[in-house]
Formats: sequence, C-alpha cells, structure tokens
Amino acid sequence: MTTIIVLVILVALVLFAINVYNRIITLENRYQNAWSQIDVQLKRRADLVPNLVETVKGYAAHEREVFDNVGKARAAMAGARTIDESAEAANMMTAALGRLFAISEAYPELKANENFRVLQEELSSIENKIAYARQFYNDAVLQYNTVITTVPGVFFAGPMGKTKHVYLEVPEADREVPTVSFSAGAASA
Amino acid sequence: MTRARNVGSRLPDAITDPSTGRRISLLDWKAANLRASWFLTVGMVVLLGGLGWLIGYVFEPGLAGLFLGIAVVIGLGQSAAAFYASDTMVLSVAGARPATQDEHRFLVNVSEAVAIGAGVPAPRVYVIDNPAPNAFATGRDPQHGTIAVTTGLMSLLDRQELEGVVAHEMAHIRNYDVRFMSMLAATVGAVVLLRDVALRGMRFGALGRRRGGGSSGGGRGQIVAMLLLVVLLVLAPILALALRMAVSRRREFLADATGAYITRNPEGLALALEKLRDFRGAPMKVSEGVAHMFFTNPTARLNANGWFATHPPLQDRINRLRRM
Repeated sequence: MTTIIVLVILVALVLFAINVYNRIITLENRYQNAWSQIDVQLKRRADLVPNLVETVKGYAAHEREVFDNVGKARAAMAGARTIDESAEAANMMTAALGRLFAISEAYPELKANENFRVLQEELSSIENKIAYARQFYNDAVLQYNTVITTVPGVFFAGPMGKTKHVYLEVPEADREVPTVSFSAGAASA
Repeated sequence: MTRARNVGSRLPDAITDPSTGRRISLLDWKAANLRASWFLTVGMVVLLGGLGWLIGYVFEPGLAGLFLGIAVVIGLGQSAAAFYASDTMVLSVAGARPATQDEHRFLVNVSEAVAIGAGVPAPRVYVIDNPAPNAFATGRDPQHGTIAVTTGLMSLLDRQELEGVVAHEMAHIRNYDVRFMSMLAATVGAVVLLRDVALRGMRFGALGRRRGGGSSGGGRGQIVAMLLLVVLLVLAPILALALRMAVSRRREFLADATGAYITRNPEGLALALEKLRDFRGAPMKVSEGVAHMFFTNPTARLNANGWFATHPPLQDRINRLRRM
C-alpha cells in the first residue's frame, strides 16, 4: 500500500516538473518568435529605403547629411549580429527616416510625387508594425520573466540555465514629437 | 510619430471585465467561449430532438422516433452551416468585397499592424460600400479571421481611431466570440424553424381531428404534451433571443476593453465611438439577422440597455474606455 502511495506521489511530481519545464520552453519560444516578427518588418523597411532615397534625391539632392545618416543606419543594420545591435540599428534608422520625412516637408513637389506618397504610407505603417511587434515582444518577455522568477518556475530556471531577458527600449525619437530643425545647409535650398 | 508603447504594468492577456469590475484572463474567456460553443451545440441537438419527439407524439405517436430524427438532423445541419459557412454568408448578406492592397492600402496596413499587436495571423479584409461608418468581424477561429469595414468608416476615422475599431473586431475573433455567437444564432434559427413547422402542423392536425370525429384523438397524455409543446415553442425563441442579446452586450464591453489593451490606447477607440455617436447621416440598412455582429448596431435605438438591444449605449462604452 505504502509503495503505491509513494509511486503515485512520484509520478505526480514528475508530471508537474514536465509541465513547468514545458511552460518555460514554450514562453521562451514565444518571445524568440516575437523577435522574428520585428525582424521581418525591419527587413521590409530596409528594402524600401533605397527606393525612397532615390526618390528624395531627385528633388533634394543636396541634403547630404540626411542621406548619410540613412546610409549609416543601413550599414549598421546589415552589420548587426545580436538582438541588441539590431534594435539599436533599427532605432538609428527610425531617427534617420524621421529626419528625412521632416525635411521633405520643405519640398512641395516631392510631397506631390505619387511614388513618394506610397513610400511614405508604407514606411509609416511599417514603423507602426514595428511598434506593435515590439509591444508583443515585450509582453512575451514579461510573461517569460514572470514565470522564471516566481515559484515554481524559479526552482527550474537555475538548473535549466535560464535568466531574465531584457525588454526592448522605446527609442527617445518615438516618445517625443520630432522637432523639425532645418540646418543652415537645408535652408539654402 | 508613433506613440510610446511601454511595457504594461498589467500582466498580458488579462483585462478588467467592465460588467463585474473583476479581472478576467483572456485565455479563460476564450476557453469559456469554446466550452459554451460545444455546450450550445449539444444542448441544441437535445432540445430540438426533444421538441421533435413532442411534435411527433402529439400528431403521430407511431412516428415520434422519426420526428426526433428529423429534428436532430435539422439541428446538426444548422450547426455545421453556422460553423463552416457563416462567414461567407454574412459577408455576402452585408455586400462586402475583398479589400485590395492598392485601393485600400491604409486599411490593410492598419489591420496587419493590429494583428501583430494581438498576436494573431493578419485577417482577411473586406470593404462594404456604404457611407454609414461601421464594421464587423467574422470567422470561426483566428486562422479564418475576417474583418469588414464600410467606406464611411474609412473616410471618417484617422489612424489611431481606425486601429481602435479594428482592434475591437480582432478581439471578437481572437476570443472566439464570433464562433460562439454564430452557434447561438444557429440555435435560435433552428428553434424558430421548428416552431413554424409545428404551427403549420397544428393547423392541419386540428383539421384532421375534427374530420375524424371526437374519438380518434389521443388520450390525456397527448393533450398535456400538446400544451407543453405550445408553451415551449412560443417561449423558446423569445428566451433564446433575449439571451443572445444579453450575451452580445457583455461581449461588446469586453471587446472594447481588449481592443484598448491590444492598442494600449483606449483614447483611439473612444474617439472613434464619439465620431460614430455624432454621425448624423443615413444609417446602414442591414438584415436583422446580422445587425448584432456590427461594431455598433446599425439601428441606433438598439444601442441601449433594453432586453433586445444588442449593444450597450455608445456613451457607456466611451465612458468606460475613458476610465481605463
């Protein structure tokens, strides 16, 4: 009789452990998948940028600084190896594009260009999708962190080698309304 | 540019149920909907079988089993149709056509963005050519999610407001409200159908008995069964309809709360509702069978607290969003 009781308790414990283990792995996969959602949008944006730069150059070829910044951001994106580097490069790109669109306000003919308008809508909607994907990512990380730092997950996280993951920061440029300041070079148009 | 979306202080996938003020996990809500959909289907088959048997017993006691069988087949047929075809049916009744990337770029982009935030596949997007602002969602699960929006809504709302409405509709899909509501509609439909059949039968039955002379009518059991049948057939559709409306109103509040959670921006949805409240154009004409599915009921007086109202008053919905 006692052996049966001990066996039942052991089986219950094992099932419980499997359950917790699976939950941690599931949540880990979820936030990693959530990152790939962001990555897809970042790649789509990077693909649209050369087209945008060409279009803008047709009307405002002398805005060298803006094009340089976009180019630097593109290079940073291509060179990014880790999630953190990608996130940082993505923020650079967001800032550079924000500046580019701010400057385009000064060129009515550019703003009237159909191709430019389509690109502008596409890019601002990609920006929006990135924001939503980042929100979903952070939610997933929050769930993951909660499980591995609370009982019973905390007892498993150590042996499994799982540590808390960091959230993606919302870049400053997204928090504030961009301030449009035309440099001396830009004003000479 | 875009508004800040910080890490929520609230746990993901849980919102405050506006009608009780209690925290409700969205996973629980979804599970409850799935359970209720099964329960409804089984319950409907049992109810219809019972009604069919009663009808048979009253008119042709020898064939009661056959009537039971027919009623069960009707019930299963209605359920299957509701499960697999309600989205196609609703879209065609509403006169919706697929949105195209070129013509409705903005709407398609907004829907894709909100889907990412909600963690569901991007829905199919449809457009209804109508100046009255409205929208609805259909599809039995997130993989078959479909959102239809009127041209009036698109021209009236800006990005954050449209995001709010789309997120509200996405909430109905993600939480399986659509599946539950279409199973409920199928139940009501089957009961009404059976009532009509029985009422017709009663007229013929009464004539037949008169022809056959007093003695051929059944015993006392048949009379009791007849009375029971009449009461059931009159009450069932009314009760089912009132239940459907009450269930629908609660779900609208929950979908508003979920929509606000998905966008992290209750104000967008509140502003959209304000614009719809102040809209003074001609209302949309839609069949009563699909009116409850819309973002706001196309018949203004059915956005109210009454028994048969499908949606809460718009001002209530706005106030609750503003208090979040």
